[in-house]
Amino acid sequence: MRYREALNQALREEMEADERVFIMGEDIGVFQGAFKVTQGLLEEFGDKRVRDTPISENTIVGVGVGGAMSGLRPVVELMTINFSLLALDQIVNHAAAIHYMFGGQARVPLVIRMPQGAGHQLGPTHSHCLEAIFLHVPGLLVAAPSTPADAKGLLKAAIQDDNPVIFIEHEYLYGQRGEVPENGGPMRFGEAAVRREGSDVTIVGISRMAITAERAAEQLAHEHELEAEVIDPRTLRPLDLDTILDSVKKTNRAVIVEEGWPHGGVGANLAALIQEQAFDYLDAPVARVTGADVPMPYSKPLEQAAFPHEEHVIQACLALFKDL
Amino acid sequence: MATDVMMPRLSDSMEEGTVLKWLVDVGGEVKRGEPLVEIETDKANMTYEADTDGVLIEVLAQEGETLPIGQAIARIGAAGEEATGDRPQATEEPEPEPEPEEQQPEKEEAPATRDQPPATSDGGGNGRVKASPVARRMAREMGLELAGISGTGPGGRIVKADIEAAAEGGGTAVKERPAEEKAPDTRPPAPDTASADGAKGQVSVQELTRLQRTVSRRMAESKATAPEFQLNMEIDMTGCVELRARLKEVADPAPSFNDMVVKAAAKALTEFPRVNGAYRDGQWELYSRVNVGVAVAAQDTLIVPTIFDADQKSLGAIAADARALITKVRDGNITPPELSGGTFTVSNLGMYGIENFTAIINPPQAAILAVGALKKKPVVDDAGRIVARDMMGVTLICDHRILYGADGAEFLGRVRQLLEQPFSLAL
Repeated sequence: MRYREALNQALREEMEADERVFIMGEDIGVFQGAFKVTQGLLEEFGDKRVRDTPISENTIVGVGVGGAMSGLRPVVELMTINFSLLALDQIVNHAAAIHYMFGGQARVPLVIRMPQGAGHQLGPTHSHCLEAIFLHVPGLLVAAPSTPADAKGLLKAAIQDDNPVIFIEHEYLYGQRGEVPENGGPMRFGEAAVRREGSDVTIVGISRMAITAERAAEQLAHEHELEAEVIDPRTLRPLDLDTILDSVKKTNRAVIVEEGWPHGGVGANLAALIQEQAFDYLDAPVARVTGADVPMPYSKPLEQAAFPHEEHVIQACLALFKDL
Repeated sequence: MATDVMMPRLSDSMEEGTVLKWLVDVGGEVKRGEPLVEIETDKANMTYEADTDGVLIEVLAQEGETLPIGQAIARIGAAGEEATGDRPQATEEPEPEPEPEEQQPEKEEAPATRDQPPATSDGGGNGRVKASPVARRMAREMGLELAGISGTGPGGRIVKADIEAAAEGGGTAVKERPAEEKAPDTRPPAPDTASADGAKGQVSVQELTRLQRTVSRRMAESKATAPEFQLNMEIDMTGCVELRARLKEVADPAPSFNDMVVKAAAKALTEFPRVNGAYRDGQWELYSRVNVGVAVAAQDTLIVPTIFDADQKSLGAIAADARALITKVRDGNITPPELSGGTFTVSNLGMYGIENFTAIINPPQAAILAVGALKKKPVVDDAGRIVARDMMGVTLICDHRILYGADGAEFLGRVRQLLEQPFSLAL
């Protein structure tokens, strides 16, 4: 099953199970979604529960916040993560804070879906990876699934959760296939997946980079006789730091791979946590492989050069062992 | 969960301590605030109190063992909790690496241009060995000296694998000599035919106590670093002798001449701030309090308890303080706070009949006043007559980095003035 189909299935199942669940966003109804995630849902559930909206991100999220506060379970879609910046007021000042501001009397069980990622020549206004911005905000849960199974399980969990969830999908991943358990229920937030076991270096891959990291690990084993352990945190808030620390304590080395920018990134945060909590286990500096510190280029070769590929991960791992 | 009892810092200058006696047996109950262990510091023997309730489940430092501060010496836990037998690492965090390796390999180009030879691990010439945190921890736990291990990691960094190799004996590691190991015998091998005793007869080697070691170290440090000069002066103590005779009638015990010297010096120190200061790391430090240390000989060593705020204390209060401190020193129960904080030192050998002597500055103080014996001497008075006066020789030894000749001379002149007109001291 493809990643987009898994998401579609999660939406359909949750809408069938709970009539409070409705979806809303630009082009999600008649056009069936910019990335076809909402295919067939308008036909099945009607335009009361599958609502097309104008181009108005702050309003889309604001309506979602209001609907969630009044007892519904909205799932809103923003066409790309870049557009979510238009809705930051509703996301940061309202969705994330309301439960706290009202002393727990109001909840915001809202899911905000958005894809991120480069590779389709969509330029600097469509292609960034901004999970670090949402990771920064207390009150938000942040999921970044990298497989169809996780996409389905975590989206079901997100819809059932009483907290606002930033659900980060990936444009490259929509077409990827993977096993999805039949009748699988919701997964738990805060449980990392160990994609590959190894004893020499821990690679933490965020979002699509979990896939890149796994491929790099295979090459490291075949060509360099290094066994890398690959961890996909799956959710960034809550973060399963224990699994990462246990692995680092075993391998004594950590490489964090993310597609986003280096400064203030997920990797910067994770590197700080690792050195704070496992300093005496480190045999090398915590290394980061990140997207380039530039706006995403439109030019195909430049775009390819601006986000990490397997060879960058391999180089970063090797550099922990010897002078290159 | 057991808590570790760490070697405590019991004085400013303490770097390590020796466990003298455990006051609670293993398995015994420990109460917060009750005596747990006697520890010898560089300055005194101290009773250290437990800071938690529980049971002493394990003693990690045996009696006689010397450990740096921060190292675990025992574990306190719940009854029945098991001893683990291993000694945990010190709580002090290793210093961070001064030069972290480049963290993020550039993706546009492989970082193949770095060309530092993977030679030594000296961290770029600043004397620090370059080693990863885990390598440092393992070396510490195994008692391995990092300096003796060559690093095979990037930039010559010592990594975990190097420590493992060294621990297996394959590396170039040097085992750190345990602190309790005896110093090597430095006597030359005796010729076959001669008796083993040699020309000096039999040698009995005495280990220094911690206190004696501290004295050796600090005195050598003072002589090696302080460019000193000495100023001699004779002070007419006749007035002080008369004053003391009168005080004897009203005070018991009466202040000694040394108390008077302390009082006079303290008064003069308030007027000459640099004498009440220190040269430290290229700067002058001037202290607001006048705390005069009094050198006391005791039990084959030298202890300098401090009379705090001597400038503000009456002669009687100084006398009482000095007497109490000397008793504590002789009884061996002086505490580190009473031995620290001095800003000036007075050393008196007058009771041994020494008329003049020099002393070694108690670093980082600016000066020390060496006080000799009172002696009746013929002196020419203002009218040109020869008269018998009670004279006392004093020497001021000064650190020329903070005191110059004239400074010391003026200070000493003021001390003389105060002692020769001693009624102001009695105020």
